[in-house]
Amino acid sequence: MHIDPAKFPCLSAILVSCAVGMLIIMLIPQERKRLMKQVSVFFSGITLLLTLYVFFAYDKGMGGLQFVENVQWIPSLGINYFNAVDGFSAPNLLLTGIVFFTGVLTMWELETRVKEYFALYFLLVTGVFGLFMSMDLFFIFVWYDVSLFPMYLLIAVWGTTRKEYGAMKLTLYLLAGSALILPAIIFLWAKSGLNTFSFVSLMQPGLFSPGAQKFAFLLLFLGFGILAGVWPLHTWSPVGHVAAPTGVSMVHAGVLMKIGAFGVIRVAIMLCPVGWIYWAQLMAVLAATGIIYGALAGLRQTDLKYVIGYSSVSHMGVVGLGLSTVTVEGLNGAVFQMFAHGVMTALLFSSVGYIYDRTHTKLIPELGGLSRIMPVASAFFIVAAFAGMGVPGLANFWGELLVFIAAFRTYPVLGVIAVLALVVTALFMLRVVQRTFYGPENERYARLPDMSLSLGIPRIILAGVLLILGLYPSFLFDVIRTASVPFMSGLLR
Amino acid sequence: MNWIIAGPEIFYFAAGLFFLLATFVAEPNPAAAARRRVQLTALLIASVGIMVCLVSAGMEGRLFIRAYRVDLFSQVFKTLLSLGLFLIISICGDMIDISERRHHEFYFLLFTCTLALMLLVSADHLLSIYISLEVSSYSLYILVALRKNQSLGLEAGIKYFLVGTFASAVMLFGMALLYSASGTTYLADMAVELPGIINRPGVVIGLLFTLGGFFFKLAVFPFHFWAPDTYQGASNQVAAYIATASKVAAIAVILRVMAFAGQGSVYLVHALVVLSVVSMTLGNLAAIVQKDLKRLLAFSTIAHSGYVLLGILVLSPAGYSGVIFYALALLLMKFTAFMVVVELASDGRNLQIKELAGLHRRSPILALALMVSLFSLAGIPPTIGFAGKFLIFVAAIQKGYMALVIIAMINVVVSLYYYLLVIKAAYLLEPAQPLPPLFVSLPKKLLAGVSTAVIVAAGFFPYWLVQLAQTAARALVWNR
Repeated sequence: MHIDPAKFPCLSAILVSCAVGMLIIMLIPQERKRLMKQVSVFFSGITLLLTLYVFFAYDKGMGGLQFVENVQWIPSLGINYFNAVDGFSAPNLLLTGIVFFTGVLTMWELETRVKEYFALYFLLVTGVFGLFMSMDLFFIFVWYDVSLFPMYLLIAVWGTTRKEYGAMKLTLYLLAGSALILPAIIFLWAKSGLNTFSFVSLMQPGLFSPGAQKFAFLLLFLGFGILAGVWPLHTWSPVGHVAAPTGVSMVHAGVLMKIGAFGVIRVAIMLCPVGWIYWAQLMAVLAATGIIYGALAGLRQTDLKYVIGYSSVSHMGVVGLGLSTVTVEGLNGAVFQMFAHGVMTALLFSSVGYIYDRTHTKLIPELGGLSRIMPVASAFFIVAAFAGMGVPGLANFWGELLVFIAAFRTYPVLGVIAVLALVVTALFMLRVVQRTFYGPENERYARLPDMSLSLGIPRIILAGVLLILGLYPSFLFDVIRTASVPFMSGLLR
Repeated sequence: MNWIIAGPEIFYFAAGLFFLLATFVAEPNPAAAARRRVQLTALLIASVGIMVCLVSAGMEGRLFIRAYRVDLFSQVFKTLLSLGLFLIISICGDMIDISERRHHEFYFLLFTCTLALMLLVSADHLLSIYISLEVSSYSLYILVALRKNQSLGLEAGIKYFLVGTFASAVMLFGMALLYSASGTTYLADMAVELPGIINRPGVVIGLLFTLGGFFFKLAVFPFHFWAPDTYQGASNQVAAYIATASKVAAIAVILRVMAFAGQGSVYLVHALVVLSVVSMTLGNLAAIVQKDLKRLLAFSTIAHSGYVLLGILVLSPAGYSGVIFYALALLLMKFTAFMVVVELASDGRNLQIKELAGLHRRSPILALALMVSLFSLAGIPPTIGFAGKFLIFVAAIQKGYMALVIIAMINVVVSLYYYLLVIKAAYLLEPAQPLPPLFVSLPKKLLAGVSTAVIVAAGFFPYWLVQLAQTAARALVWNR
């Protein structure tokens, strides 16, 4: 047992505030929907503040693991309740806090089965937070599943297009991922001979033989890769995005897919670096294919949410490409892109959610001229779409820039192809913006109200984050670098 | 001889006797209130039984010319069995499904069966194993056939009986082979004899056939045929008992025999690998198409017996402790699922999955209990079912069975599909015409809440239970 009483356990407090929020929501009588939403906003607000605190209090000069909480859990198996923050997880925690809070606000108008929705939503986010802060492989796996299984009901009950199919497909795909992860984690535990699941102990260089690393890396990469939307294991993702209700789409595309990429970094890459180098080319090919495939598929979609879904495949391909370069720049870019894409896609879904709630359609041909009917709501979508295109001044630009610089150096051919695919991404984003927000208006929707200020708040937050990071990226880079630089220099030695 | 160490057995024997005598004085057509009184009496006796088991938990010793062994391992399982009996009696209620005048007999058989299962987990001699196995089986044959709906109950009883006697015959044959090879009928002596001759065909076949008798109880392929029909034909409570207590005892006796077989032979392990993989795959695939919830649970039981075998075939203390933990997990999660079945089918009918429609509105607590128990059965953390699977997988990978664990995990994903279909029915589907809220009495709500909480809590923090399982496994291996 080792807890410094002088230090407040911030990380556990994040988990506890989610869990307590969930319990309180479950105890509120069914009719008091407004109270439930207020409670949700309150607790997600606390969580956001805590994540903000953790992010800004993280000592960039010192780097390494901070906010460490380490309690023995099952000593005979070497399982510890071990939470800490490093340069990779700090941005992701903040991202989760932001998307969580804005996701609750976005669902303010929800009327059906409010209690179950927010209870499951809180459970899901608890899992996400837990995964990002955990330094114990056992707990990483537990949190991974905790963040997945509420998804089924969240999509199947509150979703829209082909929701039962989408929910089932998503759940089975992602749990198939866990079917690869769990054996790999136990395999590493058994191979190490240290009888510990603690990440720090397992990270000693040379602990695992190259063969074991190559084997485990493949399992872990595929397992977490399913969640990260790696082509060709991505097919659950557009279907799931489309079927999910707005708030869940936000968390799902904004944060859950990051869990996959984060898992690849944290477990696969950091524990099996030899496997990483060995499989890097495969990763690069899959990632580049994903970028191109997502862009081309997105070009053909007529459903707004499908467009975003395929753009996610494409953008997560950028993350994968960054990771496959085995360079500091690639890692930095990938983590930055994870953050930027999370915020951007949350904003996209959030805007589409508003449009859908009013017009009851997501089909691009039925919409048109929305920028004159609801200029504010349209503006948010357009900002996010521009971010998605990689326009300088918005956050995504920096992530993509770094990734492509690294990719050009390592894989010149793939890099060029991937950049060309980005042009296609820009094309389909522009096409969507043009057809949905400009052009002739659809008479049926001409009288719909624009977004009110209260509903605008979550979107303003998200757009603001995109802008701030676009103008001042070192905000994030300085933190990421504290993890990526020591890791890579340790690797090259 | 020190009779005190057989305290639980004596207690349950007396309890069985009590109900047997009560059948002589029982009124022929008791009213509902009288039936409730019988249930409460049984519940009281069962709760005292748990205490007796707990008190005698630390005892050790041997009885009946060394044919009976009391050690930590057996006491842990006896406590589990007493807990299982208590839980099952708590959902018996007024049991419309069992003929009114048979209620005393019902409890008599339930207690006798539990007694026999307790004897089974302590049996240390081929003959005592055989006798206790038969006593428990015969009680169950009758219990299954007691259902009021004659055609269903009798059909199920006969199927159960036929497969059961066949399995017993196979087991006797196996025991004979074992005896001819080792020249002894004491398990303890066999532990000395067997390791040297373990690779002889006669011994391998003898061990496999002997295990066959227990595999029947556990519903392992190819002795699983009875399970779906028997679950479907038996009354809901009896099916719950078979799914929980009877499985726990079967796991215990398999552990006992395998621990005595020492490190085992390659052939034996290979055979077990095949049985394990076929059981889990077959159970899960067959469960997908089921419409009857009890049948679905029966096939999931077959799948679970595959996971249990996986833990046993690694032949290491880690595997044994994982299996012991899993036995407890199975008891809890199967009970919770069956409790929902019993509550929902208050007239004792068989519950179709589509009848779950609207459950989340009719009774949120039952819907939650069902969801948690099914997720636990599927092995999703943080539930006790996941902790159990995790322990077993850890033991298996330690011994290098990586491929087996991956197969098992793929099975977990397959099983998730049909569990999700059930959860979907409970949370998503709406009944054709609106049904009124379900009345669930306060004790039942409490029971559902507590078992749900325990499933989650023990999954999140399994430390003490893991400790207990490890200690019991050590007792099992060291006492060889």
